[in-house]
Amino acid sequence: MTTQVMAQRELQIRCEDDIVLVRQAVRVMAQQLGFDAFATAAVTTAASELARNVWTHAGGGSALLEEIRLAGRRGVRMHFRDQGPGIADLGRALAGGFSTARSLGLGLSGSKRLVDEFNVESTVGKGTVVVVAKWARFSSTTG
Amino acid sequence: MTASVTAGGKPRSAIPVLRVGDTLLVTVQIELHDAVADAFQEDLLVTIEKTGARGLIIDITGLDMVDSYVARVLADTGRMARLMGTDTVLVGMRPEVAATLVRMGYGMEGVRTALNVDEGLGLLHTLQG
Amino acid sequence: MAVDYMSLLKLDERELAQRRAFFEITDEDLARVAKLRDFAARHGDAIVDDLYQLILGHADSRAFFADETMVRRVKSMQKQYFLGLFAGNCDLRYVQDRLRVGASHERIGLEPKWYLGAYGRYLRLLLDRLFTDFPAAEAQAAFRSLSKLVAFDTALAMDTYIAANLDTVARHQAAIRELSTPVIRVYDRVLLLPLVGTVDTHRAQQIMETLLLRTVEDQAKAIIVDIAGVPVVDTKVADHLLKTTAAVRMLGAVTIITGISAQVARTMVQLGVDLSSIETRARLADGIELALAKVGRVIAVKA
Repeated sequence: MTTQVMAQRELQIRCEDDIVLVRQAVRVMAQQLGFDAFATAAVTTAASELARNVWTHAGGGSALLEEIRLAGRRGVRMHFRDQGPGIADLGRALAGGFSTARSLGLGLSGSKRLVDEFNVESTVGKGTVVVVAKWARFSSTTG
Repeated sequence: MTASVTAGGKPRSAIPVLRVGDTLLVTVQIELHDAVADAFQEDLLVTIEKTGARGLIIDITGLDMVDSYVARVLADTGRMARLMGTDTVLVGMRPEVAATLVRMGYGMEGVRTALNVDEGLGLLHTLQG
Repeated sequence: MAVDYMSLLKLDERELAQRRAFFEITDEDLARVAKLRDFAARHGDAIVDDLYQLILGHADSRAFFADETMVRRVKSMQKQYFLGLFAGNCDLRYVQDRLRVGASHERIGLEPKWYLGAYGRYLRLLLDRLFTDFPAAEAQAAFRSLSKLVAFDTALAMDTYIAANLDTVARHQAAIRELSTPVIRVYDRVLLLPLVGTVDTHRAQQIMETLLLRTVEDQAKAIIVDIAGVPVVDTKVADHLLKTTAAVRMLGAVTIITGISAQVARTMVQLGVDLSSIETRARLADGIELALAKVGRVIAVKA
């Protein structure tokens, strides 16, 4: 069985305020999919961290938000793309406590710990693509 | 107990700061955009400077998301206030916010916390005893 | 309570179109089966009887049918189902009807192997009769169309079965979660969580979330976590405890870990785990005393 995309929405990250728009869109999506408060906070925070990464490291990019489904489970998948400088040492960036811009250096490593699936591809001089997914927990559908 | 809106220019963050005795109370109810968060910090520090407040309570009951940026602004504000002789207590953090910060590896070490404003006032009282 | 499988499986027009395309069900197929209605009416009873000979002929599958009345009822349902195949519609109403059949079988606990076996018999019964009643080319075309619909129906039945089971698993998980984190209110604003059994990542997360919710709900100032019943306390468990403590602290409360045996204390130090930021006690009684002190109470000897 393959993951189905039920709906998608693309948002541009061109200024700092766009970070807020991205996380608001993610929050609404998570709530519609029946995420509980903990899962909603986790996926919204991850969106905020990754959107800010796009803004601070690359000066802009895009966020593609998808509502996905696999074997009856529903989730949110987010693709963050930028054409920035790229990450030279991915291992170190993911280990945390490492940052070339402001914030805590928790952007990549922190958001990785908040989601169920995490994938990052980066080419120095070309840009970075981070794809993450979070599934709604099995929750009773009838109450 | 009397409360009055602090004088001293228009707050740029639009987050009202109440003064109760020699304690400042701020209730964050709107989502903290990055720019607002920075302005919020500056407003608070200027108010402390002007009023000589000895305690600061930041109530974040209204925040359903605190990312690393906002967490750092909050923690830093407390540290800066401390340098000015003001103790800070962060109150009302929501369960999902605490769980998310901890999962990211952020524990707000060195920041005093309390369950609600009352508890926060009590804690400040003990500290300043 | 009836489960809404249509929405659970997200069966809307789009999904239906996708399924029909994949099972290659064309309008010609539907028109062809619709022309077989007389055939269906002629053979319906015999085919259903034959199908139930198979089902009732095996002790394991027969066990699902309590008595003659029930057999009669399912046979009549089966007949409706059979005639439905020849309705010549494959729309959302058809799907809804099919899901009802799947759901009713799931309810009585009929497993997929019985379904699939019975569907196989269905196809063979149809094949034989089609070739008896019609010329070979016509029979073959009819069989091809019908087999597409039967495959389509089988998929719906399986999806219903899987969805119903996931739903059951979810209910069980919720029940187990509640059982595995029994938070006890020991005193005003003092909570106790006795941990028993293995603490894996999934459970640790549940524990943390339950504790945080209860801390705010009860406005608890002290939370005692007793780990005497945790068989193995390794670095991973210690890490979970540290995280939970840090999260509880951010809310403005204190965690006290009790039930730390000599063995656990030795292991922690040997593993280099630093628990010095947490208040710990060997005995639960001492933990309770410490927690009460946090809310301004003391346990005193009666004068």
